[in-house]
Amino acid sequence: MEELPSITVSQREQFLVENDVFGLYSYFDACDIATQKFLLEIERDKQLDYLMKGLRQLGPSFSSLDANRPWLCYWILHSIALLGDTVDDELENNTIDFLGRCQGSDGGYGGGPGQLPHLATSYAAVNTLVTLGGEKALSSINREKMSCFLRRMKDTNGGFRMHDMGEMDVRACYTAISIASILNIKDDELTRGLGDYILSCQTYEGGIGGEPGSEAHGGYTYCGLATMIVINEVDRLNLDSLMNWVVHRQGVEMGFQGRTNKLVDGCYTFWQAAPCVLLQRYYLAHDLVLHGSSHISQGTDEDHEEHAHDEDDPEDSDDDDDDSDEDNEDFEDSGHGHRVHHTSTYINRRVQPIFDSLGLQRYVLLCSKMPDGGFRDKPRKPRDFYHTCYCLSGLSVAQHAWSKDEDTPPLARDILGSYANLLEPVHLLHNVVMDQYNEAIEFFHRAA
Amino acid sequence: MHGRPRKAYKPEEEAASAAKAVKPRSLQSQFMSNHHNKIYTKEAIELSTKLLEINPEAYTAWNYRKLAVEDRLSRIESDPDLVKSILDEELVVVESALRQNFKSYGAWHHRKWVLSKGNSSIGNELRLLDKFQRLDSRNFHAWNYRRFVVELTNRSEQDELQYTENMISTDFSNYSAWHNRSVLLSSLLARRADGFMPNEKIPEEYKLVHDAIFTDEDDQSGWFYHLWLLDQTVNVETPLLISSWPSHGSRINLSGAGCLNDSSSKLPTFCFESGSFPLILYFDQDVGGVSSSTVKIDSELKGNEDLVWEPVSKKNSQVSCVWVARLKYMSSEPSFRKEYKVNVRIGNSPGIVSSRGFNFNAPYEFVFTAHVHDTVEESQESIVSWTDGFDIWDAQSKDLNSLVTLDQLNTQMDLKWRQEALAEEIDLFHALSDSKIGKLTLARLLKAEAMISGDAVKGVHYEKIVDLYNDLMALDSPHYQYYKDEHSVALLHKVTSSTESLSRYLFQYKDMNNAVCLRLNNLSLSRIGSVEKLLFVQMLDLSHNELHSTEGLEAMQLLSCINLSHNRIRSFSALDSLRHLKQLRVLDVSHNHIGKHSVDTTRYLCSSPLSNSEWTQDEVGRQMPTLVTKYWDAYFVFRDLNLKQLDIAGNVIAGDEFSSFVIQVVPKLVWLDGQKLRR
Repeated sequence: MEELPSITVSQREQFLVENDVFGLYSYFDACDIATQKFLLEIERDKQLDYLMKGLRQLGPSFSSLDANRPWLCYWILHSIALLGDTVDDELENNTIDFLGRCQGSDGGYGGGPGQLPHLATSYAAVNTLVTLGGEKALSSINREKMSCFLRRMKDTNGGFRMHDMGEMDVRACYTAISIASILNIKDDELTRGLGDYILSCQTYEGGIGGEPGSEAHGGYTYCGLATMIVINEVDRLNLDSLMNWVVHRQGVEMGFQGRTNKLVDGCYTFWQAAPCVLLQRYYLAHDLVLHGSSHISQGTDEDHEEHAHDEDDPEDSDDDDDDSDEDNEDFEDSGHGHRVHHTSTYINRRVQPIFDSLGLQRYVLLCSKMPDGGFRDKPRKPRDFYHTCYCLSGLSVAQHAWSKDEDTPPLARDILGSYANLLEPVHLLHNVVMDQYNEAIEFFHRAA
Repeated sequence: MHGRPRKAYKPEEEAASAAKAVKPRSLQSQFMSNHHNKIYTKEAIELSTKLLEINPEAYTAWNYRKLAVEDRLSRIESDPDLVKSILDEELVVVESALRQNFKSYGAWHHRKWVLSKGNSSIGNELRLLDKFQRLDSRNFHAWNYRRFVVELTNRSEQDELQYTENMISTDFSNYSAWHNRSVLLSSLLARRADGFMPNEKIPEEYKLVHDAIFTDEDDQSGWFYHLWLLDQTVNVETPLLISSWPSHGSRINLSGAGCLNDSSSKLPTFCFESGSFPLILYFDQDVGGVSSSTVKIDSELKGNEDLVWEPVSKKNSQVSCVWVARLKYMSSEPSFRKEYKVNVRIGNSPGIVSSRGFNFNAPYEFVFTAHVHDTVEESQESIVSWTDGFDIWDAQSKDLNSLVTLDQLNTQMDLKWRQEALAEEIDLFHALSDSKIGKLTLARLLKAEAMISGDAVKGVHYEKIVDLYNDLMALDSPHYQYYKDEHSVALLHKVTSSTESLSRYLFQYKDMNNAVCLRLNNLSLSRIGSVEKLLFVQMLDLSHNELHSTEGLEAMQLLSCINLSHNRIRSFSALDSLRHLKQLRVLDVSHNHIGKHSVDTTRYLCSSPLSNSEWTQDEVGRQMPTLVTKYWDAYFVFRDLNLKQLDIAGNVIAGDEFSSFVIQVVPKLVWLDGQKLRR
């Protein structure tokens, strides 16, 4: 083999990105506290402006995404919901009507009116309608026809095709099974052989690839893991190596990369952090030991104390009191006569995330957030709704990573910046906000 | 869903693009009308070409074209030239679409569809791919398509391997190329292609990856490939039997339910209330198909009945690395002292298959003697102590379960090249052992070498591995727990590396027929390992460690007493594996972190065990539904255990209510927290 060049293209690109990111971080570190606080603000108003404007102009300018309009609806409306806001009745009705026109007569949703139904856009449409909530939105989905559509997309090898004569991959499997689960139309026919297909896509790296033979990829890893959880076959995956792969995709920049040796990208804030928290909660629920990674706390939380800006937060002291109340609950005498401190109550309430949650929030707020609203992949890249949606979703996941479930509100110190940055919690398997998920589940439970 | 490059829309750009969008919109509506009316004229098809040039993601248009192609092909008589020209037209459209967006799922898929029809020339495909892959060497669509083309054209895997080598030599950080190399090599090595014997090829690959690793230690690509190579070096595809109980040449003493009052013998005696003893087979990987037809047993003991083999697995699956059958030695007739020889032959007829599909093909035979004693009926109600009544172990070493010897490994694995390759790597990585990844790799290499070496090497290596993980815990605190677990495993390997080392931890409990007791307390263990070497143990002291779970103990079928006090068990579900231990009578889980079950498992991740109505059928479930709901995790573990003695004090959950619940669920319980129960 020839001699290797001293620096490769990927290394040079990596070097440039690190330069940008660390430049932003050292600028931040050099700022006074007031500026730092400002820089960490999520700036809801600007975010909402950007999103609302996008929703209203969801027209001519998006020609290149004409096959993706339900996705735009989902990216924008889910982002708005994460920020705790809603849209006015007119926009809501327009969206429901528009998606209604995307719904095919044989079930499923296409990328626009008249287009072929497609699993990915069906997922986006269903998640959009769940996010809007309410009788009108939810009842606009034709469950029976959707069920027929999903069956038509099911392949004999266990996987799903994206559309008639379309490609088959892990993404198709996830979107199909997520829809089926939310609409309460999942059955043995849909899940048969599905686990085998997903299993054949897990690589020796630990993550999951798009199709058998492909290298592991963050988006597919999320899709594959979520699918296996929904169909209750998750323990068939090699979870040790999956965990090991996914936690190590968080790099020095503190954001996540999508594949081995690729550049950091803000959207993987969701695709990689969600699997971390899913695994964390899976292990917690089953009291298994997390092998292959750093893991659930023993009640110590020194790990995130190093972030100095936390201590500047006035709300923090309140929470420390709160915490010590918990900690004082059970003391008892050990055999040797001195007091032993038990931390079990504390452990039951909080877990140590298996990734650096505050570091991740730092990447999103300082490197992905744009001054005029919206989020991007990395410095020097433009913003877009896709990255806005998955940066915000991931930020929410990171903020709630210490909680044992979505209903426990995070402490002030779990949240980078002021507590006003707190976003709505999402359902990790479907990526819709929790309240909307609950409403939909109840609705479709009654519909069955 | 992801990965398409998108443009920014600044206000001034938006106006411009709105103007541009008019054309696509009218194009789109015309196209839709053609599509719905199934119009496949030249003009209509031309229109879809235009649309796809502008928007390669218009998957409906790709589908339309498939239908149009089918329509056109159905109209022409099998004129190969015409067919070819129709299909080639499609390839041109795809190519220009890919130029616009080479991450378009629809475009790549369309190309696959066209090529699958045959008839079109495929010679150009690799050239086209080379062009795209030069532009974006990590594009996974292109790599997937490449694998597809290679399969379709029967291009040799050797040529493809050369391609990855070229890619790597221009950019060794290109992990996609390394990945594809591992896929290709796996296939070539598995079918032992010419020039791809593992003993020659793997050492070459180590040299290749060294260039990448030693050029830049921080580059992840090489390390992942190195990890894959290490896996190829130590893993054998075919399953191996690595231990059994009873072991070859051993002699076991058996008696009935009662206690043997013959203290003259220092040998442990096994009492099984059921009158049958477990035969345990431990494989190096999950296997299925262990049955009376794949495992033959010759013995007077057996009678005519076929043995039932059961997998010991948490997942209720039909594969496991541990299999158990129960051999009856007490019959209804009065028994008398007798010796029985038992001969076990495994794998003489095919059927044992690993979960990855490889056959067990190393027939193995072992013989042991079972000595059945008279039973002295005596009710055994005395409390088991963990502090008093122990003797130092001095029984013959052959009572420890024997392991597969190196000779056997050698015939199975062809050890020589593996040992050489590992020795070379170890030498090299000693030089890199200042960095975290260097230390970790060295620890993994040493572990691999220890696995295929003699006892002397094992002891020394495990000692070093323990030190390396100690360093890593200090160096890299975010991954502390990972190193901690590996440290525990290495420590247990060290303890069990020789009979001499292991016997330092062994004791005998006089009051229970000289039961073998292993004390692994106070070792700060966070994970259990090496159980295959501990199958003979009846009492296990794991107190004062850092265990979260009992995963792994399910293989130790002889265990009757376990001490888990002063660990970090958080709930009863963490004790789930104990449900497999039919002999378990004494359990100490005092001073752990067991509280009320705090995780709402109903919402995500798993359905609540209570959602299935099974529990309401049984008596306890009917009698106290509220307590069962409250303590369901305890209920599901204790219900399947047959405990006589339980210690639970020093947990949040302990209290009067819980005690009364336990007494109901465990009817045979005699001792609770050191107090004799008055039933």
